[in-house]
Amino acid sequence: MGETKARNHVLIMIPAYNEEQNIEAVVWNLEKNYPQYDYVVINDCSTDNTLQILDRNHFNYVSLPHNLGIGGAVQTGYIYAREKNYDIAVQLDGDGQHDPAYIKDIIKPIENNEADYVIGSRFINREGFQSSTTRRMGINILSGWIRLLCGKKVYDVTSGFRAVNRNCILRFASEYPQDYPEPKAIIDAVLHGVRLTEVPVKMRERLGGESSITLWKSVYYMIKVILDILLSRISAGGSRNGR
Amino acid sequence: MAVEIRIFLLAAVILYFMEIIHLLKKKRLNLKYSLLWLAVGVLMILFIIFPEIISAFSNLLHFQSSMNALYILLIGFLVIICVALTSIVSNQNRHIKRLTQNAALLEERIRRIERLECIHMSDCNTDAQFGENLDETFKNE
Repeated sequence: MGETKARNHVLIMIPAYNEEQNIEAVVWNLEKNYPQYDYVVINDCSTDNTLQILDRNHFNYVSLPHNLGIGGAVQTGYIYAREKNYDIAVQLDGDGQHDPAYIKDIIKPIENNEADYVIGSRFINREGFQSSTTRRMGINILSGWIRLLCGKKVYDVTSGFRAVNRNCILRFASEYPQDYPEPKAIIDAVLHGVRLTEVPVKMRERLGGESSITLWKSVYYMIKVILDILLSRISAGGSRNGR
Repeated sequence: MAVEIRIFLLAAVILYFMEIIHLLKKKRLNLKYSLLWLAVGVLMILFIIFPEIISAFSNLLHFQSSMNALYILLIGFLVIICVALTSIVSNQNRHIKRLTQNAALLEERIRRIERLECIHMSDCNTDAQFGENLDETFKNE
């Protein structure tokens, strides 16, 4: 399957945890409208029917035997991309928030060799679903914190819609933050001299089901991420931009 | 330290050693992870045989009694051991993550190979071929 379509070597990685309401539509859309890309769904040991849906439809999937969280799931995708020699890996959420129409925009800076790591950002053109006020506040705090510590302004630090080149595939396959990895992956990459850029995308509200993030989890999330980012800064040492 | 306390502590430490050695013999403790516990036992014995060590430490920091100094020291050891355990847990966490990812990726390969065999041989008795495919998967590694 993967080998025959791999001529442009783009892999879309779709982490899915309890996405029985969305995953079928997301993957069918990819198979039907974007056959130029390969994809793999990473089922993070869902407790609902996600796995059965993947199997019944003969989707290309990897199924983790126990729950690793989003970071461990995404890393599985990077290992898969490394083993199968993909040049570009794209992260796409399994909940339908990300429109695959933007994949070509996200991978363009990589194909032009202008960036190693591209984040699809809701907040550049401020179009589409902008998330709640409190969520945006949290994102702004993290964005400012990352800028303070590494000198790089990234607006949508929690966006899960991203693309990386081969170098970053290798990097993330061997080391990827495990819990709430999105902002942490950004600072780790920037501190190691990875060229990172943001391109505007529109996101939708999730199609169905519940987002996994609740109020208390958010507070815990903020504290943890702020500390984790600080730790990255301390252990990287040296000057800003990691050079 | 009063003689009674020393005898009591000595008896306790001996029991403690017997338990640790017993666990080590039955291989229910990894020597690597029990070295810290053994070290604490040895230190306790030193403190019991030479209470002057504790007294000197206690006087140096103006503890009200040498027993308080002993408590503080023991709590300190416990904290160190707990940190060491957390570090071990974190390591294991990383290993389990790797194993989980590997198992998932291998399962995907087996599934793909089985599907190919199904197509080529139009023989879908996949259960019987499971062992063979697994061998091949490892050969390809």
